[in-house]
Amino acid sequence: MWQYRELIRNLTVADLKNRYQNTSLGFLWSLLSPLLLAGVLYFFFRHLFGREENFAINLLVGIMAWRFFANGTSSSLYAIVSNSSLVTKVYVPRQILVLTTTLANIISSLLEFIILLPIIFALLGYLPITVLLLPLIHFVYFWFIFGAGLLLSSLYVYFRDLNQIWNVLVSILFFCTPIFYPISIVPAYLLPYYQLNPVTQFIGMYRDVMVAGDLPSWFSVVVVLGFAIAAYLVGSFVFNKLQRRFAEEI
Amino acid sequence: MSAIIVDNVSKKFRIPHEKKTTVFQNIIGLIKRQFNYEDLWALKNVSFEVNKGEALGIIGRNGSGKSTLLKILARVLYPDSGSVSLDGKVASFLELGVGFQPELTARENVYIYSSILGVSRRQVDKAYDDIFDFAELKKFENMKLKNFSSGMYLRLAFATAINATPDTLLIDEVFAVGDEAFKKKCRDKMNQFKAEGKTIIFVSHNLKTVQELCQRTMLLDTGRIVTMGDTERVINTYLAML
Repeated sequence: MWQYRELIRNLTVADLKNRYQNTSLGFLWSLLSPLLLAGVLYFFFRHLFGREENFAINLLVGIMAWRFFANGTSSSLYAIVSNSSLVTKVYVPRQILVLTTTLANIISSLLEFIILLPIIFALLGYLPITVLLLPLIHFVYFWFIFGAGLLLSSLYVYFRDLNQIWNVLVSILFFCTPIFYPISIVPAYLLPYYQLNPVTQFIGMYRDVMVAGDLPSWFSVVVVLGFAIAAYLVGSFVFNKLQRRFAEEI
Repeated sequence: MSAIIVDNVSKKFRIPHEKKTTVFQNIIGLIKRQFNYEDLWALKNVSFEVNKGEALGIIGRNGSGKSTLLKILARVLYPDSGSVSLDGKVASFLELGVGFQPELTARENVYIYSSILGVSRRQVDKAYDDIFDFAELKKFENMKLKNFSSGMYLRLAFATAINATPDTLLIDEVFAVGDEAFKKKCRDKMNQFKAEGKTIIFVSHNLKTVQELCQRTMLLDTGRIVTMGDTERVINTYLAML
């Protein structure tokens, strides 16, 4: 991969430019949608959960963390099919196409999180020192999404309705993840399943280090690392199997 | 010394009677138990070698396997059996301007396309003015590609592509597009590559260009090598076949 570093860099930058340069406000637009979503959810749910500690901040952190998952997986799903000429007309290792899409997404996500820090500071009055762990969590999250992207993008070449299916699954998962409600309202018999949702664990970790000032629990670390490694291994395996016929199937 | 060794390569395409491209269709197919497809051998037991510095032409009718063979050499397709080995840096021109992004400027696209072809940033920096002079597009370097005419697009792609310094070139018909001036530029550049001792594989329907460029030529028909050798003799065989 090292010999392709310039290609990876160029494609990532091109992806970001395509995303942001054609709107007058550029990156700011992409901030507007999560902030609006947070505003709407806050407006409707503050009566129910407004008394929870730091409800508004936790909501914002949850939405930003969720966005990396939702946008990262949905856009890398198209990484192969929408770059068909790089698959059928020239040889580049095809993982690069998924990698650069995920890289562009992690950069967007990092910028969003950086914007979030002064907001947290303003609302909370201080920033916990544990916030320094943010890059580490993001790094693990990145591998999880990259692995999922490898799996999705290679399957999408063969199953062209996967994008629709994935959209539905992502929407369902949004409601099954404690983003706009506290995990304390989840009934006890469902809790074990909730805890095994990797996105729940990631969001919990972000809230721990960015708001509560706690270190993530060992359980979260194990679940998150397990999912990241599994997603990458399964994703790479399936991708490598399927990529042999990409040029024929696109 | 052989720069390219192709050993007993076969490639099979599966042509399903009914193409299933969605999860839904696949589930229906599973229920109805439809797994009908036909095998089409695009290449069957193809073996040959190309010497370093040689220009080999590949000719044949449509559907004879020329492009499939070139794509296997370019590592875009994988053979079902047999092996392929290529020496040194390979640049494949199955299409010009691969990876060009319409929303970005000519300048940005030159860097992207170059990195796809394996040319380092520093090399592009050095050749940057040459590329735009050759393409006659110096004035337009900061224009978005979507505003380029097809001729400008082609010239930019070609100027960028020839700046790559591969040892082996795989070329498919791409230089047959464009006007006469462009074609002449292409021919000159190809002859220059040949004089520089680069290995060239050239797929074309234009027998005159093949004759001009290639000492040896291969004739393919239905995925097999009919004959291979001196270009003039092979072209005559091909013409007799039609």
